[in-house]
Amino acid sequence: MSELLPFLITGLVTGSLYGLAGIGIVLTYRTSGVFNFGHGAIAAAAAFVFYTLHDTHHVPWPLAALITLGLFSTVVGFLLERLTRSLADAPEAVVVVATTGLLLGIEGLLYLIYGDLIRNFPAFLPSSGFTVDNVNVSWAEVISVALASTGTAVLFVFLRVTNLGVAMRAVVDNPTLTSLSGARPFRIRAAAWSIGSGFAALSGILLAPTLGLDPNLLTLLVVQAFGACAIGLFTSLPMTYAGGLLVGVVASVATKYLTTPPFSGIPPTVPYLFLIVILLVVPASRLPQRRASIRSLIPEVPPMRKARAWTLGGASAVILLFIPVLVGPRLPVWTSGLTYSVILGSLALLVWVSGQISLCHMAFAAVGATTMAHLDHHLPWGLALLLAGVVAAPVGVLVAIPSARMSGIYLALLTLGFGILMQNVIFPTFLMFGTTLQVKATRPRFWFIDGSDRWFYYVTLLVAALTYWVLAALYRGQLGRLLRAMSETPTMLTTHGLSVSTTRLLVFSISAFLAGIGGALLVTQSGVVAGEAFGPIQSLILLAVLAICGTRLLRSPILAAILLAVAPAYVTRFGVDQQTFGFGLFAVVAALVIAKRSQVQEWLAMAATSSASRQGRGPVINNVRARPSVPPTGANPAVSQ
Amino acid sequence: MTASAHGSAVEGQATGGRGLRADQVRVTYGGHVAVDDVSLAAPLGQVTGLIGPNGAGKTTLFNACSGLLQPASGSVNLFGVDVTSKSTAVRARMGLGRTFQRVEVCNAMSLRTNVALGIEAREVGGKPWRQVFGNRELRRRVDEATQTALEACGITDLAERSTATLSTGQRRLLELARVLAGGFQLLLLDEPSSGLDEEETDSFGAVIQGAVDELGIGVLLVEHDMPLVMQLCRYLYVLDFGRLIFAGTPTEVQASQTVRDAYLGCGSDKGQP
Repeated sequence: MSELLPFLITGLVTGSLYGLAGIGIVLTYRTSGVFNFGHGAIAAAAAFVFYTLHDTHHVPWPLAALITLGLFSTVVGFLLERLTRSLADAPEAVVVVATTGLLLGIEGLLYLIYGDLIRNFPAFLPSSGFTVDNVNVSWAEVISVALASTGTAVLFVFLRVTNLGVAMRAVVDNPTLTSLSGARPFRIRAAAWSIGSGFAALSGILLAPTLGLDPNLLTLLVVQAFGACAIGLFTSLPMTYAGGLLVGVVASVATKYLTTPPFSGIPPTVPYLFLIVILLVVPASRLPQRRASIRSLIPEVPPMRKARAWTLGGASAVILLFIPVLVGPRLPVWTSGLTYSVILGSLALLVWVSGQISLCHMAFAAVGATTMAHLDHHLPWGLALLLAGVVAAPVGVLVAIPSARMSGIYLALLTLGFGILMQNVIFPTFLMFGTTLQVKATRPRFWFIDGSDRWFYYVTLLVAALTYWVLAALYRGQLGRLLRAMSETPTMLTTHGLSVSTTRLLVFSISAFLAGIGGALLVTQSGVVAGEAFGPIQSLILLAVLAICGTRLLRSPILAAILLAVAPAYVTRFGVDQQTFGFGLFAVVAALVIAKRSQVQEWLAMAATSSASRQGRGPVINNVRARPSVPPTGANPAVSQ
Repeated sequence: MTASAHGSAVEGQATGGRGLRADQVRVTYGGHVAVDDVSLAAPLGQVTGLIGPNGAGKTTLFNACSGLLQPASGSVNLFGVDVTSKSTAVRARMGLGRTFQRVEVCNAMSLRTNVALGIEAREVGGKPWRQVFGNRELRRRVDEATQTALEACGITDLAERSTATLSTGQRRLLELARVLAGGFQLLLLDEPSSGLDEEETDSFGAVIQGAVDELGIGVLLVEHDMPLVMQLCRYLYVLDFGRLIFAGTPTEVQASQTVRDAYLGCGSDKGQP
């Protein structure tokens, strides 16, 4: 027992902070309908603000903590409420884009301001302590647990005693009924976001001394917290706190026993394992389902006229064929643009057409890349490329199965967790990148194709063209029709005989297949590729950039590939952190625009009419002349209405 | 067919294994018992009615029959097979179709595509590879069934209209055409005439009667329009507060004091066909 004690104590300390973060997430999720993937990023931002105040400006720590908490529970809470207000009934995918955009934006900003040097966070709490059974317990640890549990207890009492608290519980229970009975939803949501941000800030400040001031690590704190949320079934606040403790203790004790790689990567993924088990075991009806508006995210556009389609297609084909001549030494950039267009196309099929979310698409690409590398020299290049996709497809199904019965947010959580699990546990194994964390593959050489940059560009172009042909055929065919109907009326399709979950899994596997092929192209192009290129943050960036370029199946991923892979080679002013920040920021804006698309269109139309009618002002005589007294024959009735 | 005021004691008609039968079905929402040990049968070749005041549990019972809800106890039997543990999609592929009280249509598509979804979902619903690789033969069957259903419901002229522009009555007809296109042997129709005007209701009744007579399908009908119910149904079940309070022919139902007290109203001539 005494050898376990230090692990138990560490686990309880971190666990209570995970619980604290989890409570913030559950409270805001249930009152506003928005699951905040940026919660960890907010915690990270708070830790940096505290650091700046305390360490740089030498503000005493209690004051610095108070200022930080005050700032986050008022200003940041208010901003988040404003931001998420328009997302309350938006489709799941849009909410995920907005909050992961927030995550990227904040993380990018922190790297921009503070650089990517991991700083030591000052141990501001007293490090002296006492001994229990030969184990040192510092006052810092005691204070952390005390603050977290006091925060939880105060919130618990607040929700039970005060009017606002009772109203908040009512909103969690039944939002529609609560607003009907005269409670003010705005006040309730604002209070929830204020408390949520405060809790995020507190957990960030208290966790930073242990984790170090690393924006990435703190940002992905949300993953630790969602293990806690899952144990509380995304509903119960006390159970979430208890869940945080459980996750913390199990993860900490696991570090004692799982010390050799790749098993040493398991402890940080403990919350994810809890999440999977809970989603598999708990019936769907026990978990909160969002009342998302049901509509397809692909905008309704009339099909292009044939002549125009041919002209456009022909022109793009000619340009693409002549790219090697036109761009000179920047050709590899364009090849990688084509590669990313394959991965982004697979993501667009999944997110925009089927309404499912993947926050681990780069992990599927990684499966493809490593399969390609393993098969290199053993099989013909084309066959290896195909197999790279074939291996990635079942991996996709495996990830999506636990959430097939449920609404999209749980799929988003699962995929984010899976991406991290892959990076921590599977990437370093012989199955994927191995201990060197990189793999190699050679370019195709056959007939007159000699493996030069130019010929590889044409090979990639062919694969990309085939991919887009497949995407278009799927969308126009049976599956596309079923998917479009599924985004609006899944119940109807079920009662007419369609096994909706199976079709969802089918799309997931097709998407993973294409992503795998994209990954295989990625490794063949550069010859060697590191596991880092397929991390969870890369997957989030992929989704953010896709959303920025709209919700069309073919056009958006192509534009996104240009923005992601080609543009940075031409506009070299923006570094990686600036790109992350920009992509995050614009993804938030894009999500808001998509969520309010009809309003935005109306607003634009109104702006257009008002500027048109302004031309009709001025001397009355002009107006009379402009308006014929007898309507011209054959006037379009639609216009006159 | 005895009539009794005690729910579970009400006896219904027999299906002889050729239709839908619910045995002692009980559905609860938390502590609230929405459907309390109800048994009913809807044989093929006729329209069976399920009536009762709002909140009596009619739609809940429908959901239990089609598998959208899992009953707390009791069983559902379809064409002689116990389907209680089978999923909604499997029951549909076995031949159980349904419409909805709140019309479920896809606004982003034309009426024809919506109707076609009825048979497409049933044909490829359990065959994922067919969803990706359709074939000409399947396409031909889909087009044929769609056209027949559109004609049967008299909405061929609306076929290319966008569903978003249709009236409630037209949407109800769309749902009926969709479920007919699906080729289901047993239809659960949930208040199909609500929102329809008198003329539309008449033609609606004619379509249902025609389908039953020509195709020999069975229909279980939830409906508040008593003249329509009395005209179409050969047999009626009456629900109140989740319990079956009466079962019998339309004439017997109209004569029953229990039914008058609970639903039709005392001395009301609303129930006269």
